[in-house]
Amino acid sequence: MARRRRILRYFGYALLAGVGALLAFALYCDLRVTGEFEGRRFSLPARIYARPIELHAGFRIRQVEVEEELKILGYQSGEREQPGWYVKDQNKLEVAVRPFVFWDGAQPAVRVKLEFDAGSVKSVTDAGGKDVPLARLEPLLIGGIYPAGNEDRVLVRLDEVPRHLVLELIAIEDRNFFSHAGFDPRALARAAVRSVTGRTEGGSTITQQLVKNFFLTPERTLKRKFTELVMAILLEVHYGKEEILETYLNEIYLGQDRDRAIHGVGLAAQYYFGKELKHLNPAETALLVAMVKGPAVYDPRRHSARALERRNLVLHEAKEQGYLTVEQYATARALPLGVVQKPVMGTTPYPAFVQLVHRQLRRDYDEKDLRSEGLRIFTALDPRVQNAAEHAIATRLAQYDRDKRFGPPGMEGAAVVADTQSGEVQALVSGRDPRYRGFNRAVDAARPVGSLLKPVVYLTALQEPAKYTLVTPIDDGPFVWKSRGAPDWEPQNYDKKFHGMVPLRTALAQSYNAATARLGTDVGVEKVLENVRRLGIDRPLKPFASTLLGAVELSPLEVTQMYQTLASGGFKTPLRAIREVTTQDGKPLARYALRVEQAIAPESAYLITAAMQGVVREGTGQGLKAVLDPALGIAGKTGTTDDQRDAWFAGFTGDRLAVVWVGYDDNRAAHLSGSGSALPIWGDIMAALPSEALALAKPDNIETVLIDPQSGLRADGSCPGALELPFASGSAPSGRAPCASELGVTVQEVKQKAKGWLDRLFGR
Amino acid sequence: MKRFLFLLVIFAAGCAAPPQGTPPEQAPPPPPEAPAAPKENVAIAGLMESARNDAAAGRLVQAAASLERALRIEPRNPRLWHELAKVRLRQGDTAQAANLAARSNSFAGSDAALRSANQNIIEQARTSR
Repeated sequence: MARRRRILRYFGYALLAGVGALLAFALYCDLRVTGEFEGRRFSLPARIYARPIELHAGFRIRQVEVEEELKILGYQSGEREQPGWYVKDQNKLEVAVRPFVFWDGAQPAVRVKLEFDAGSVKSVTDAGGKDVPLARLEPLLIGGIYPAGNEDRVLVRLDEVPRHLVLELIAIEDRNFFSHAGFDPRALARAAVRSVTGRTEGGSTITQQLVKNFFLTPERTLKRKFTELVMAILLEVHYGKEEILETYLNEIYLGQDRDRAIHGVGLAAQYYFGKELKHLNPAETALLVAMVKGPAVYDPRRHSARALERRNLVLHEAKEQGYLTVEQYATARALPLGVVQKPVMGTTPYPAFVQLVHRQLRRDYDEKDLRSEGLRIFTALDPRVQNAAEHAIATRLAQYDRDKRFGPPGMEGAAVVADTQSGEVQALVSGRDPRYRGFNRAVDAARPVGSLLKPVVYLTALQEPAKYTLVTPIDDGPFVWKSRGAPDWEPQNYDKKFHGMVPLRTALAQSYNAATARLGTDVGVEKVLENVRRLGIDRPLKPFASTLLGAVELSPLEVTQMYQTLASGGFKTPLRAIREVTTQDGKPLARYALRVEQAIAPESAYLITAAMQGVVREGTGQGLKAVLDPALGIAGKTGTTDDQRDAWFAGFTGDRLAVVWVGYDDNRAAHLSGSGSALPIWGDIMAALPSEALALAKPDNIETVLIDPQSGLRADGSCPGALELPFASGSAPSGRAPCASELGVTVQEVKQKAKGWLDRLFGR
Repeated sequence: MKRFLFLLVIFAAGCAAPPQGTPPEQAPPPPPEAPAAPKENVAIAGLMESARNDAAAGRLVQAAASLERALRIEPRNPRLWHELAKVRLRQGDTAQAANLAARSNSFAGSDAALRSANQNIIEQARTSR
């Protein structure tokens, strides 16, 4: 008897201890559930946008390019109920532009009619035929800065979720969701029976699934199953059904776009249907619900038959539960999947550009905030330009490999394209595989620039107009530079010849090394380097004479900055990839404003630009004439390093500037030349894009004079091959060329007088 | 002599453009003169208007943003650079104001009024520094 009582007592202790342990466990779970669920906010990636297309009369864009952009934006051809469609009628487009929150405020949905003519927009009108001054399309999303696991999502509130989506979800995943306490014994029993008969079924409630995704690892053990049960019950104790459902709908994993994980029904609606969630019909929502079970298995783009079958099962269950009428069911069931073809993007199709954006952002924002706060980043990337640059590099390098014209196969390349006036970076290519997320050659590769530095030598000379003009003869004879403690420096020319006395502009156009070295040491290496700094190179440069010929390593991006200053008439505008940053709901945070700094006098910039136009007109850049209209007046410079390991071309039209580098990562000698390898790529990029002719504003103290190229003296109409060249006022040669008219005045002077007289007469 | 010159002037004005005897491919155009301020484009007019309204209401950041948007369309419009210089001056960014006014001047051509307005900004920037 006493023994029985003792056993009972021990049993009681054990029971107490068990209950205590259980309570402690429950308390631990409770703390985790409340602590984490309460504090947990979904991490939202920063979203990076390309520039928006701004349509206005006169804008140079071809109709197909607008159509292409609309397609990538997910616009559908043919009129629809919701905005996001376009209709084409020969040279006209009607577009129902979606609403979008820009940096400067929300833009409502608008409908515009566009008419095109000869590669430009002829008119932009509204539905009533009234002129619209400016119509902005929403910008293309080009990537993001993602939280751990590259989870991407677009948060939705429960009241934005179509009711039929919720009902379909409940019908297939958790019939008793609104009545159970976090777990469903009936569903569990059903699952158990089915697993015995060989058909596996979850039996987990929505609450349990959420707990599993939120707090637990994916292992399948009994202990974990038990924890899940306890936590699910606790979650239900603390939070309402609607809160649990909303969190579930935002959490759920619904697909994989390369390395980007698609989470939540908000993003899935855009990803699969190119629509906002609230506009999905019962068939479309049923497809999303169908994918809950396994987004890879039921991927509608890969396994459409399987996905369709499960979607119809969802619809069927919804009908059985009385959530859909028989008519609704029949209509929905008859619909195709309706998934839009979306180009695979992954985290971004433009990793090199996004990397540059990310770096610039890191100066102003915490990494953590960038990966969680859902910031919206508006950039200058122009997909048209980017695609042209990528294509030019990929096709040319493949061709060089095939022809084995240069070194062994496997050459690399990089390019930067920017706006000459605003300094905005429109495209950045970091290698022949633009999707590769590795070494960013455009930003991080420092390579010898060779002759790309020569324009700065000539600029420095032209800053002294009393001594140097475009026609000043300079000596391209053998040149030796002696400095103590260093071997003599004897630069050779590319053609291994010396050319004697040549006009200054010709020495640059033909990229003569001996002449440039002599000129540079005459004007002073320090002075040249000071100009390099002014043009925007911050990297310290060695004050050696060899620096003049490009024994300096710079990245393509740095070269772009230097040439930007030249391209905008001497006004340096720091290169920018980002325009604006807003919070997730559109509140402006930062603008990266346009800043200009007059780095060199407009007169000197004007003269050096004229000399660089000579490079393309008659010098080492002549090859461009084959693909680009000479009337564009392109200014540029080829760059080839001494041992031909690096080839460059940098140049600009009136509105666009591009720098191209070609070479080997391991510095192999490649027998490259700037004009043979980098220039054709540059030409391809520019030929694919509209460009304005280069017409620098002529400063007051510049006069143009007709010059006879033979003598470098004043010419007139009777001199064959005479050239109009700019001179700083008073610096033009006074002598007359032998070919010029014997009269007291040249025709040129008469013309100028006549022009002045007519100007006065008509008050221009 | 004077009369002879006058005749020559008429003659030269009459036959205008390309110098005679010069094969065109041998004498490509030098950098042409900057085009005069382009005709007011409606898109530009609209943006300029909203920039003025924003500036009048003290919303200088928005005013600058509209002007930059306009400059993307017409980067050579000296009026836009001038307006932006004015906004920067009001924001107290005198260095930028002076640089932007200089930029405006570089496109201003023979617009004397605009040039003197720009000169004004440059002076103001200098004295307030």
